[in-house]
Amino acid sequence: MVTPTQGSFDAVAMAADTSGGTARVEFTGTRRQLFGLLLRGYLLMLPTAGIYRFWVTTWKRRFYWQNTVIDGDALEYTGEAMQLLIGFLFAVAFFLPLYLVLFYLSTQAPEIIGFGYMIIGIVFWFMLGYAQYRARDFRLSRTLWRGIRFDQRGNAWAYALRRFLWSLLVLATLGLAFPLMATSLWRYRYNNSWYGDRQFRWTGTWKTIAGPFYLSYFAAGAGIVAALFVAESVPAISIEGVPLPGPAAQLAFLGAALFAGLMWFYFRSRETSRMFSEVWIGEARATVRVRGRSLLGQHLAYGLSVLVAAIVFALIALAVVAAAEGGTASVVIVDLTRSVQSSWIVLVGLILGYLVVFGTLGLLGEVFLGCGYWMLVARGATIANVESLRTVRAAGEDRALVGEGLADALNVGAY
Amino acid sequence: MLHARYADGHVAEVHDVACLLDGTELVIRDAATSADLDRWATTDVFPIPGRRDELRVGVSGRPYGARLVFAGGDDVSAAHQMMPALAHRHRENRGREMRALGLATMALVSVVVAYIYGVPLLARNFVSLVPAEWEEKLGTTAVAQIEGLLRQEAGFEVCDPDLDSLANRAIARFAERVVEGSGSPFTPDIKVIRTTVPNAFALPGGHSFYFSALLDQTHSPDEFAGVMAHELGHVVHRHGMEQLISTSATGLLIGFVLGDMTGLSVAGGIGATLVDSSFSRDAEREADRFAADAAKRLGFRSAGLVDLLERVAGDNEMSAALALLNTHPLTAERRTSLEALAVPDASATPPFTPAEWAAIKSMCGSTSTPSNAPAGGSGTRLDGTAKNG
Repeated sequence: MVTPTQGSFDAVAMAADTSGGTARVEFTGTRRQLFGLLLRGYLLMLPTAGIYRFWVTTWKRRFYWQNTVIDGDALEYTGEAMQLLIGFLFAVAFFLPLYLVLFYLSTQAPEIIGFGYMIIGIVFWFMLGYAQYRARDFRLSRTLWRGIRFDQRGNAWAYALRRFLWSLLVLATLGLAFPLMATSLWRYRYNNSWYGDRQFRWTGTWKTIAGPFYLSYFAAGAGIVAALFVAESVPAISIEGVPLPGPAAQLAFLGAALFAGLMWFYFRSRETSRMFSEVWIGEARATVRVRGRSLLGQHLAYGLSVLVAAIVFALIALAVVAAAEGGTASVVIVDLTRSVQSSWIVLVGLILGYLVVFGTLGLLGEVFLGCGYWMLVARGATIANVESLRTVRAAGEDRALVGEGLADALNVGAY
Repeated sequence: MLHARYADGHVAEVHDVACLLDGTELVIRDAATSADLDRWATTDVFPIPGRRDELRVGVSGRPYGARLVFAGGDDVSAAHQMMPALAHRHRENRGREMRALGLATMALVSVVVAYIYGVPLLARNFVSLVPAEWEEKLGTTAVAQIEGLLRQEAGFEVCDPDLDSLANRAIARFAERVVEGSGSPFTPDIKVIRTTVPNAFALPGGHSFYFSALLDQTHSPDEFAGVMAHELGHVVHRHGMEQLISTSATGLLIGFVLGDMTGLSVAGGIGATLVDSSFSRDAEREADRFAADAAKRLGFRSAGLVDLLERVAGDNEMSAALALLNTHPLTAERRTSLEALAVPDASATPPFTPAEWAAIKSMCGSTSTPSNAPAGGSGTRLDGTAKNG
């Protein structure tokens, strides 16, 4: 039931007050629902030769959107599977000439092949930024809240160029320029985002994440240097002629890796909290608080679920082998392997096994990490001065956007 | 009277409203002020996917974002009763989606089938369009790669580099006679290489290799001639180039099915191997036929090829089970077809004189290479059109 407690009459009265109202964001979905939805979708991908993936994506987005309730009203995802399918076909058109180039290259001398692959790698890296921006455009322009559509404007090429150049600088500085890149890209994305006729703003600077970033960067670095120092000072051991660091040094490396992992969770949670907290829609401002330990907890849950799945699969495999070895079954199997059909059985088994393993990994990843992150951000978010949004008016219709095209083909993830 | 949340799609304001039916129109009345906010024709409404226990309704002829949201089982069923068009539209949408999905699936499956059967055809026809110079360049690259690969592990050294030696002249003359009249644009270039892997293969552009470890296990000139003729069959039919074309085309197909156009996924790799292996088995049969024809013309026993193959690898259960993944037809199958094809011409002279054969056998020094290289496994596959990296 819709509770009329936060009715519009209160809101109208409060709208005059410029400090009006801090809204909570809720997430009403559960992991179990998402799991059921994805499982059904994955199973339907088998008989449809993978075409169903566009429908799965659409369902998944509907799940995330409609369960995200801001100030009592849920988001709505208006995109359709056919749009994604058509967008994908467009992306294929981009790849065809690239395939011809690759083919031509493979007939050339080694130096030219190497050079050509490098060029194509760079083109891919550049196009990835373009694809990400267009994908964001597709999602935003298909998001409704209170009957008003969001939109992404700006230029995807300009964004791609920015991202490309910044990434070169980050590479050249061994990652030290990362805060500059991240803030520049966030700023471009949000300053070109719209809710109806109201523009988003992003007010952060590189200092927004500089503290957590450099702290975790240098702390993790120091851990690794310390481990190297330990490795230098303890005698190395040798196994079958291969020199290996001694047990103490191995322990030190393990410790350094674990420490670096913990620093990653610390940084990632601070980054999420601080970056999202610089987002404004007109006069309304978002505040997000995500804890590092919640993020860590999710990854542990994911690891545990993968472990459980691995044990279950191992038990099933053992049971199958045991059943096959029992009694006369083995004779039948030997006979089968002699026939041509048996190789089809082996083949189908291989393919199914592959699909099950990777499908399970993808499913668990989405349920524990993807959904988990969305839940953390949504539940950790509040929006101050939400009443100011009541005067937002719908903007004109968006130009027709065909699917996410490249983003899909380049495997750009993100919800 | 039915409660709902209402947004008009113009302004980001949500009203608590009461809905009532007035003829064929749904009256949307503000719960607080009792003012009529809008009237929707009940024939124009459509359902929008929403949460469980929630019904979202849009309407044509209003801004796209105009919405009524009913919540709770009772209100939802009451709303459905008020607007029977919703259920109708829902079924309609569902039917349309299913049809689209069915069509797309059928289209994709037919593309896949056409591809699996069409790739060899396509590659075969396309290969004649590729300039021979390209293939020669490709061959040079492949030689460099294979040399680099083998030099570390098994060694890679040309035996008897003197092109004018008895053995080399005999091999060159044999190769020339084998490709005679085939119209191949390539000059065969056969080298015997000192290495511990028992193998022989052809690369694009006419380069063929016979490894010393295989030569040690080669017992008769018929066996040697059979293998060489088979390899030259690959050269003449430009199988290396065909393979490259088919691999590129298969990558595209896999991209379609998996949606990963970069071809970086493991699934892509497995799929490509499957499609390509059936393709290259056809190429093996073609090379066998070529060898059988040459055997008939030149007067040697083409089944020697199979004798040697069985000696080196041998059929076992595992290789039979994995025949589909393997690029080579089973030796038993090959023997049957080779013997059926080749009845040596009585008037033909043997390809090698005893003196020449003795010279070829001792090219790398007969006992210089131990023939204890592991049998089976990927490194010991007897021959194969080298895939280009």
